[in-house]
Amino acid sequence: MSSDIVLVIVVGTALAFDFTNGFHDTANVVATTISTRAARPQVAIGVASLLNFLGAFISISVAATVANDVVNADVITPTIVFAGLIGAIAWNLVTWWLGLPSSSSHALIGGVVGSAVAAAGIDAVLAEGLVGKVLIPAVVAPVVAFLVAGLSIGIVYRIVGRQRPGPVTRGFRYGQVVSGGLLALAHGTNDAQKTMGVITLALIANGTLGPNSDPPLWVIVSAATAIALGTYSGGWRIIRTTGTRIIKMDSAQGFSAQGAGAAVILASTHFGFPLSTTHVINGGVMGAGAGKRVSAVRWGVAGNIMVAWLLTLPAAAAIGAAAYGLSTVVGSGALGPVLVSLLFISVLVVAFARRNDQGASAPAG
Amino acid sequence: MAVIVQTKELAQTVVASVVAGVGATLVFSIAIWGAARSVDLNRSQRPVAAAAAATLGVLALAVTLATVVIGIVVMTSK
Repeated sequence: MSSDIVLVIVVGTALAFDFTNGFHDTANVVATTISTRAARPQVAIGVASLLNFLGAFISISVAATVANDVVNADVITPTIVFAGLIGAIAWNLVTWWLGLPSSSSHALIGGVVGSAVAAAGIDAVLAEGLVGKVLIPAVVAPVVAFLVAGLSIGIVYRIVGRQRPGPVTRGFRYGQVVSGGLLALAHGTNDAQKTMGVITLALIANGTLGPNSDPPLWVIVSAATAIALGTYSGGWRIIRTTGTRIIKMDSAQGFSAQGAGAAVILASTHFGFPLSTTHVINGGVMGAGAGKRVSAVRWGVAGNIMVAWLLTLPAAAAIGAAAYGLSTVVGSGALGPVLVSLLFISVLVVAFARRNDQGASAPAG
Repeated sequence: MAVIVQTKELAQTVVASVVAGVGATLVFSIAIWGAARSVDLNRSQRPVAAAAAATLGVLALAVTLATVVIGIVVMTSK
């Protein structure tokens, strides 16, 4: 009974994480489309959320990796998964607050790894899966997106550089409708699967599912719905950072960045690599900027984003480990996760209330 | 180390990303070039050349859309 209560809390927390993932990552999907005026913000966000939903149904390779290849399911309990999710959500909200496009995926994996290590020691981590399927693709994918976008924009300018800018800009804006849609689909399929994987891991840990099980349909539908709703809610702070502060983009650059991002994410999803869509699209944006002119990229802003990337895994792991410690301080039952959930929600309410107060008292202009 | 680093899958991911990303942008650029050039050639009273540019543009657009569809089908086939 106690473990079932924890399981319900884990599923709720995982879906809340999925919502914040969509909320946090809206920028990755739509920023380039909006900043080049290929589509109006509400239209771009609405289409992206629909394609996020559909994308969640087209593959389960990444979910299988998260559920079976990162931590040892034999030593995992629902409380460990819960603590990992708290670490991920907390880090997501901190970076959202600061307007930094860090990785929700790495926050999730970092949080689960941190809480697993706190609970069962370093042996709880499957080093082969963590290194081979998460860490190395995490480094390779943004670099590939950077190179593909840089190469692409070079080719674009060589082919259409002498044409009148009006038709070329309009053409690439139409192209961005497709490339942006493809990126939204890719985002849905890779990111929603991470939540499916975590819920599946909790179901396996609870004995509800057998070892190495695939996610049940209700898990897929609920994860798809949560990420789509989160995407629709949007994240305007990060849209501004990704869309205009890294580089000022033209529509050809937007198309190249989105095409590179979609290609990398879809190819990686095919092989079950749970990579960061944030890292990939930002790599593509920087590549599209550097391909035109290296100084076009605001490397200071890009540097801040990279610092957030580097901090994400260890920071989420540390919060996950601390959340596990708090969750078990009153015993191994459901009371710990319930208290931590209430504490976490209280902190969020106070933080948002203070933020609204500050916003309301700020002078106009 | 070779087991930990999934070299084959990673290499295939990189190759597929480069081919699809650069390839789709290349053919879409040709489509836009064809459309823009066709309009200019029509204005210059060169209908045959304009038709050729338009045909190239349409073909390139078809290849772009086919690339997108094939990409999604391949990804969902596993």
